[in-house]
Amino acid sequence: MQMHSGELEIARLSAFAEQNEDVADFQVVEFLNIDGAQMSFAGGSLADSIQDNGLAVQGEKFDYLLDLDGNVITVSDGEIYVPIAYIQDGTFKVGDGIAIVGKAFTIAGPFRDSQMQPLLSSSKRFLVSANDFAALKQSGSVEYLIEFRLKDLSMLGAFETDYVSAGLPANGPTITYPLFRMLNAFSDGMLAALILLVSVLVTGIAFLCIRFTLLAKIEEDYREIGVMKAIGLRVSDIKKIYLTKYAAIAAAGSLLGYALSFAFRGMLLENIRLYMGESENSSIAMLLGVVSVLLVFLAIMAYVNGVLKHFQKISPAEAIRFGVSQEKSAGARHFRLDRIRLIGTNVFLGIKDVLARTKLYATMLAVLVISAFIIIVPQNLHNTISSKDFITYLGIGDSDIRIDIQQTDHIAEKAAEIAAAMSNDGDISKYAVLTTKMFRVRMDDGTEERIKVELGDHLVFPLTYSEGRAPSAENEIALSVTNANEMGKKVGDVISVIIAGQAQNLTVCGIYSDITNGGKTAKAVFSDDSADIMWSVVSGELAEPSLTDAKIMEYTDRFEYAKVSDIDEYIVQTFGSTIDSVGKASYAAIAVALTTAALVTLLFMRMLVARDRYSIAVMKAFGFTNSDISTQYIARSIFVLMIGVVLGTLLANTLGKALAGAAIASFGASAFEFTVNPWFAYLLAPLMMACVVLAATYFGTLDAGQIKISENIKE
Amino acid sequence: MKALITSENITKSFGLGAEKRNVLDGISVDIHQGEFVAVMGPSGSGKSTLLYALSGMDSVDSGKVSFDGADLSALKENELADLRRTQMGFVFQQPTLLRNLNILDNILLPSMRDGRNNGARLAEKAEMLMEKTGIAGLEMRDITQASGGQLQRVGICRALMGDPKIIFGDEPTGALNSTSANEIMRILAEIHREGVTILLVTHDVKVAAKTGRVLFILDGKIAGEYLPGVYDETRDNLKAREESLTNWLTTMKF
Repeated sequence: MQMHSGELEIARLSAFAEQNEDVADFQVVEFLNIDGAQMSFAGGSLADSIQDNGLAVQGEKFDYLLDLDGNVITVSDGEIYVPIAYIQDGTFKVGDGIAIVGKAFTIAGPFRDSQMQPLLSSSKRFLVSANDFAALKQSGSVEYLIEFRLKDLSMLGAFETDYVSAGLPANGPTITYPLFRMLNAFSDGMLAALILLVSVLVTGIAFLCIRFTLLAKIEEDYREIGVMKAIGLRVSDIKKIYLTKYAAIAAAGSLLGYALSFAFRGMLLENIRLYMGESENSSIAMLLGVVSVLLVFLAIMAYVNGVLKHFQKISPAEAIRFGVSQEKSAGARHFRLDRIRLIGTNVFLGIKDVLARTKLYATMLAVLVISAFIIIVPQNLHNTISSKDFITYLGIGDSDIRIDIQQTDHIAEKAAEIAAAMSNDGDISKYAVLTTKMFRVRMDDGTEERIKVELGDHLVFPLTYSEGRAPSAENEIALSVTNANEMGKKVGDVISVIIAGQAQNLTVCGIYSDITNGGKTAKAVFSDDSADIMWSVVSGELAEPSLTDAKIMEYTDRFEYAKVSDIDEYIVQTFGSTIDSVGKASYAAIAVALTTAALVTLLFMRMLVARDRYSIAVMKAFGFTNSDISTQYIARSIFVLMIGVVLGTLLANTLGKALAGAAIASFGASAFEFTVNPWFAYLLAPLMMACVVLAATYFGTLDAGQIKISENIKE
Repeated sequence: MKALITSENITKSFGLGAEKRNVLDGISVDIHQGEFVAVMGPSGSGKSTLLYALSGMDSVDSGKVSFDGADLSALKENELADLRRTQMGFVFQQPTLLRNLNILDNILLPSMRDGRNNGARLAEKAEMLMEKTGIAGLEMRDITQASGGQLQRVGICRALMGDPKIIFGDEPTGALNSTSANEIMRILAEIHREGVTILLVTHDVKVAAKTGRVLFILDGKIAGEYLPGVYDETRDNLKAREESLTNWLTTMKF
C-alpha cells in the first residue's frame, strides 16, 4: 500500500497495474484526514488522539472493511462504523452519536481493518457511506491509499522497484506486508509469544510433577515391587499394573482438559475473534483438539513408561530387606560435622543431604529454576516495554514532544520557525529538526531504488541500534532493518546515493528497527538542498517534564499547520493496551509460578519425609527434636531455593533475554536489552519464592513429627 | 542400689476391637543404677516394646515410667528428646547410622547438636572411643565401607559420646556373627564395669549369660527373673552360666 498526498493520475496507475505481471488486483481508496477536534461525541472529541483519524468508504475490490461476522459492511447514509480498538478502549459505544465537522452520525458498529487495525499503525479510518464521504470531502485533506495485491508475495521487492522506477506517486509511507506483520506482532504477537513461553515452561513443570509423583509412589511401594520381582513377575508385568492406573488418570485428565477448553473457549478466544474473526475451519479445529488431546495423552504415557524404567534398577533383595532405595551417597566429603561453627548441626545436615543426594534434589531444583524464570522473564518484558526507552527500539527517539510538519507547503521554513521558537523557549532543554527527503540509490546490479532519508542530528534523541551506531559523519548512513534486508546491506557496506545529481558513496554505520513511515527508512547527516522535503519532525525535550501538557497546548495553538504529539501519550495510545495485557499476563505468570512452586515443594517434601522416615526415626532416637528435623528440611529447601533462584535469575537475564530477543527479532526489531527492575528481580521475586517454598516445606514436613521411632527405626 | 528406671504397672496394646493385643500387660520393674540386665522372651512377647517404653521412645497406655525420679509421661516431646540425647545411649540390632554421613560424623551427630563450638574436642573424644572399641582409623570412611561388627561398634561409640547413665540395646548382637557378637559383648561389659547401666533385649543365651540379671517376658508380663550375678570372665565359667540359664529358661512355660 502506497500512501500518497497530492495530485493523482489514476489512469497512469491503472496502466501500470495492467502491464505489471505481478499485480493480481489494484485499487485506489481515498482516505479523508479529519482534524481530531472536528470529530466530537458525548464524551469529548478525538483532539487528543495521536492517530491520524479519517473517513473512508468500502473498498471496491479488496481491502474490505468487515463486521465481526466477517461480512463486508454496507453502510447506510448517516451511519458510521468505527475501528474495533475505539470500541475496546471504551471511547465509543454502538448506538452513540458522533459529529464529524458538524455532520451527525450514528455509530452502527465496529469493523475489522486489515490495514490499520493495530494501534501501532498511525492512521485509523472510519467507515461511512459514499454519499456522506462526498458531502464531507471538502472538510479535510484527502490522502490516497494506492493498494496492490500481488500474485506472489515473494515478488514484493521486485514490484516495489518497478513502482519506484515508473516514477509513480509516492508522497507518503509505503506499507508492505512485512510491516503489517510487524505491527500486529508488536501488539498481539508479543502477548501470544509470552503466553506460549509460559505455557511451554509450565508443561515442562507438569512433566517434572509426573516424575515426582511416580517416584514417590515407587518409593511408597518399594517393598511390594521388590516382592513382585522376587516371586518372578517380569518388569513389564509390574509396569503394566502401574501403566493401567496412570493411563486411566491421564485419560480422565485429558478428557477433562478437553471439556474445560470448550467451557473457556469463548472467554479465551474472545479477543482473537474480535480482531481476527471466526476460524472458517471450526470442524477441523475440533478434530485438531481431539488429536492434540490424544498427543498429550500419548506423551504422558510415554513419559510414565520412561520413568517406570526405574523398576529395572530395583534389587528385590534390597527392596525386601530395607523397604526403601539405598541410593549411594556422594559428594561433599570434605563438608565435615566437626568443623562447622557458623551454621549449626541441623543446617549442616540439611545442606549435606542436598549435596549427597543431588540427583534427588535436581528435580525440585529444576522446578524452582523454571518458576523463577517464569516470574522474572514476563516481568522483565513488561518493564522493558513499559520503559520510555522502548520506543527507541521502534524507530522513535526518546523526546517529550514531537511535532510533525507534513502535507503542507514551505515545510523547511515552517520547521525553521518551530526550531527557532524552541531555541528561544527556556522550558525546552534540547531539540532536533529531522527532515525527510527521497533519494535515489544505485544498487549493485545497476538498478535504482528510492529511499527516504531522514537528515539532521541523530545524536540528540538517539534510537537503539540493533547493529552499529547513529550516523555522525557526512559519508555515513544508517538503514532500517527492513531497508537493510531488502538491499542486502550490513554495517560497513557502502551504498551509492544520488545527491544533487552526483552519486556519493555512503558507508552503512548502523541498522535500527523502525515501525514508522512504512518501516523503510534511512538516517544520515549530509547537507542537501536539491531534493524536495517530504516532511519534517521537530522533537524537543522539556527541562521540566510536568510542563508537557501545557507546552503541547501552547505549540498546538501557535503552529496550527503542525501536528504536536506528546510522546508519553503516544506510547499510552499506541502501545498502552499491549503493555497492559503483557502486565496482566506477567502477574498471571507470577501466580502460576508461585502456585506451581508451592505445590511441587509440598509434594516433594512429603515424598522426602516418606522416604526418610528411617533417618528421622534414628535422629529422634538419638535426641533430635521435631523442630530440629523441621529445621533440617527447611535448610534443604532454602539451600535448593537459593541455587534455584540464582540460576533462574541468571537464566532469565541470559536465556530469557535471548528468547525474548529472538521473538522480538522475529517481529522485526533485532536489538533488545531487558530493562530489569532490580527491586523486583533481585529482591521481591526471590522473597515471594522463599515465602511460598518455606510455607510449603513447613506444611509438607508436618508428618515428620508423627513418625514413631519404634515403628521406623528398623530398616 | 538406687533405681534408675522404675515402671509401675505399665500397659501397651496394639490394634483395635477384636484385633486388640496387649503387648505390655501391667509390667512393674526397677532397673538399678550400675546393673547389666538382659530381657529375654519369645518373639512377640513384648521385649522390644518394653525397652522402648522404659527409654521413653514410646508412650504407654497406662501406668508410669520414671527415669532418675522423673515421670516420663509428664515430659514433653522435646524434654524426652533432650533426655535421650544427654542421659541415654542406644544400640540397635542394625547399626542405625545415617548413610549421608561418614563414620566420624555419625558418631558425633547427637553430641554436636548442642556443641557445635566444641567440634575439635568432641572429635578427639570420638577418636578416643573408636580407639577403645577397636575401630580407630575408620573415621573418614563411608558406612558402606565397614563391616557389620565395625558398624555396631560405631553405634556404641555414638551411644557413649554423651556419657550416658544407661545404654539400651535392642538385640545389639542379633545381626552379627559369633566373633563380632563376642567382641560387642566384651565392649559392653567393659562399659558396664566403668559404671554405666546396661539394659538389653536378646534372644541369645550366650549374650544373656554375660549379664547380671535376666528378665523373662511372656505375653506382656514378666514371667520370671534370673539372677546369675555379674559375670567376671577371669573367675566365672561361661559355659556353666549358659547351661544354668538354659535350664532356667526351660522352666519358663511358653
